[in-house]
Amino acid sequence: MATSEAPVRDETVEVFGGRLRLHVKVAGDGPPLVHFHPLPGLAWQPLLDQLAEQHTVYAPEHPGTSPGDPQAIREVETFFELLLVYEEAVRALGLERPAAVGQSFGGMIAADLAATFPRLFSRLVLLSPIGLWRDDAPIPLMEMVAGPPEDTPKYLFAHPESLAAQAAQALPDDPDQIPALIAQTTWNIGCTTKFAWPIADHGLGRRLHRIAVPTLVVWGRDDALVPVAYAAEFGSRIRGSQVEVLDDCGHAVQADQPERTWTAISKFLDS
Amino acid sequence: MKVSLFEQVPYRYMPDGYEDRYSSVVTAPYDFVEPARMQDSLVSAYAELMHGARAGLDGICVTEHSQSSYDVSPNPTLLASAVAYGAQAEGLDVAISVLGRSLGKTREPLKIAEEYALLDCISGGRLIAGFPVGLSYDANLNAAIPAIDTRDRYREHRELILKAWSEPDPFPWNGRFEKYGQVNLWPRPIQQPHPPIWIPGTGSPGTLREILQNDYAFVYLSWDGPKLVGQQIFDRYWELAEQMGRDANPYRLAFLQVVAVSETDERAEKEYVQHLQAHYRSGLGAVPATAFAVPGYAEPAAVEAMVRSGGSGGMLARMKTATYREIVDSQVAIVGSPATVADQIEAFVREFRIGNLLVMLQNGSMPRDLTEKNISLFAAEVLPRLRPIWDDEGWENHWWPHGLRAMDTVEAAAAEEVA
Repeated sequence: MATSEAPVRDETVEVFGGRLRLHVKVAGDGPPLVHFHPLPGLAWQPLLDQLAEQHTVYAPEHPGTSPGDPQAIREVETFFELLLVYEEAVRALGLERPAAVGQSFGGMIAADLAATFPRLFSRLVLLSPIGLWRDDAPIPLMEMVAGPPEDTPKYLFAHPESLAAQAAQALPDDPDQIPALIAQTTWNIGCTTKFAWPIADHGLGRRLHRIAVPTLVVWGRDDALVPVAYAAEFGSRIRGSQVEVLDDCGHAVQADQPERTWTAISKFLDS
Repeated sequence: MKVSLFEQVPYRYMPDGYEDRYSSVVTAPYDFVEPARMQDSLVSAYAELMHGARAGLDGICVTEHSQSSYDVSPNPTLLASAVAYGAQAEGLDVAISVLGRSLGKTREPLKIAEEYALLDCISGGRLIAGFPVGLSYDANLNAAIPAIDTRDRYREHRELILKAWSEPDPFPWNGRFEKYGQVNLWPRPIQQPHPPIWIPGTGSPGTLREILQNDYAFVYLSWDGPKLVGQQIFDRYWELAEQMGRDANPYRLAFLQVVAVSETDERAEKEYVQHLQAHYRSGLGAVPATAFAVPGYAEPAAVEAMVRSGGSGGMLARMKTATYREIVDSQVAIVGSPATVADQIEAFVREFRIGNLLVMLQNGSMPRDLTEKNISLFAAEVLPRLRPIWDDEGWENHWWPHGLRAMDTVEAAAAEEVA
């Protein structure tokens, strides 16, 4: 599966009455697609290059997670405001009904945007999103975030030793850059968990019925962070949605099963 | 100087090897706790605080921690209230220092305003109001406050409490975190506009600057002793004070020190060794490092500095395996005969200009009789050497409760008359 690496450029859009400058990475060519990143912030990964082959990918960075702009998170006080920020950003970027792809934390954002603003997107892809809660299937997000860093991979990957999983966790070669990277990632998680703490349930389950666009839900059967039971939960609440459960696959589906994840996504986006 | 008895409320019967299996906070299992031993642990803390007040310590100090085996004190004003009443009933002139209810953690800041005001009233204006942010595990894991909101909540709550104490008429409060249609506190503190405010902190430059700006007192609760990190923190504090045009009044600074006194150095080691080791190992030593900084609790620059320096430079990372010798040599605990203890304390108090000393005389498994002996010996033989330390410089302790300062003045006038 050869993928060319698209050149990635930075854009900023002013939103929220000028109080917030949202940083957006843009790559590729074709119809617009907005990508929403998971808890640790935006990492440009092979999946984004794949998406950029047929789409213009817009990948906004959650407020506060852009290097050099940590205090931007203070401008967004509530989860509702976060949704407004992204809805404004889609308009400010001049995007006409883009497709949306959200991973984990980003999946919750994408799903809630699609439920709150039913005409915002054209299609929706949710990769093991958080956002719902069942007492019989608790999500150990707090345990992962507050636990020792060396335990994180076991929540995310069915195969923490795989090349893709290793790449996702790789530290820079230059040891001098490591402290800044750890500080940045730690802060990023502080910025995202602001809207996912201690339980990421903002009532999304009561709004999912409002989603009115074709939706694909992808889940790993061995997800140790958000149990696979939630795949059917999203599937049954979003009318007409398609659910793909991948065997031998953990929470980070694109790292554990890159080919099958891409097959499911590309088929759905092409259809 | 002023010397107060600082007491945490550990469960005193932690099983051997606990720290190898469990955390002492958040997830600490409760199934090994025996109810009668929990009662004994709690009642002993009340009794020892009263013992300290009777022995002549200047104040008593308590702190707040939830879901913790090393400080079973979910609301320190409960403990302080009993001591405040007891001291009042017995005519003991002791400051009641709550260090305190965590303002970053609380969901009911006006309860704190009310509880502190009530303590100030029943103690006759002897309250010291501690305003801590709250440890990360307590605020972000136990109370489940998003870590990144902790400090903003702290600032809003402090502002609200101060206004509620001193604003004569009912007022509405439209904050980011709290909304009230009518704030009208009953009772209000006797000390107006507010009791002296002490801010416990770890010494980050931002916090120190804010403390000095507001003219509060800084309380350094480190459990690291004066040797390991004292120089760095206190030098920074006094340099900042000078830069900001504040005087060098030693009462601006309070410091916590673990102390264990016996008749001789040898006897002290024999009596306290197991309890001190147990305290550090199964208590603070068994708090996982990650519990002190849930992501978002500390600013990126602080996290980067921490990673670069490889930790705080203190004992915390090593406490789980700390030996008695390491604890004593590093002065994490000051242990020995009254002369040994007084010499060591006097030296660092003078070096770092500490006007308010907090001594922690109960630790871990230490039983009540031994703790009370420690308190009695300290009060009788160490305290008299420490009290006059700053007298020759003639500073007034503006951070001491009015109820007691008035008393000092009355006593001084009486003494002058006699003379």
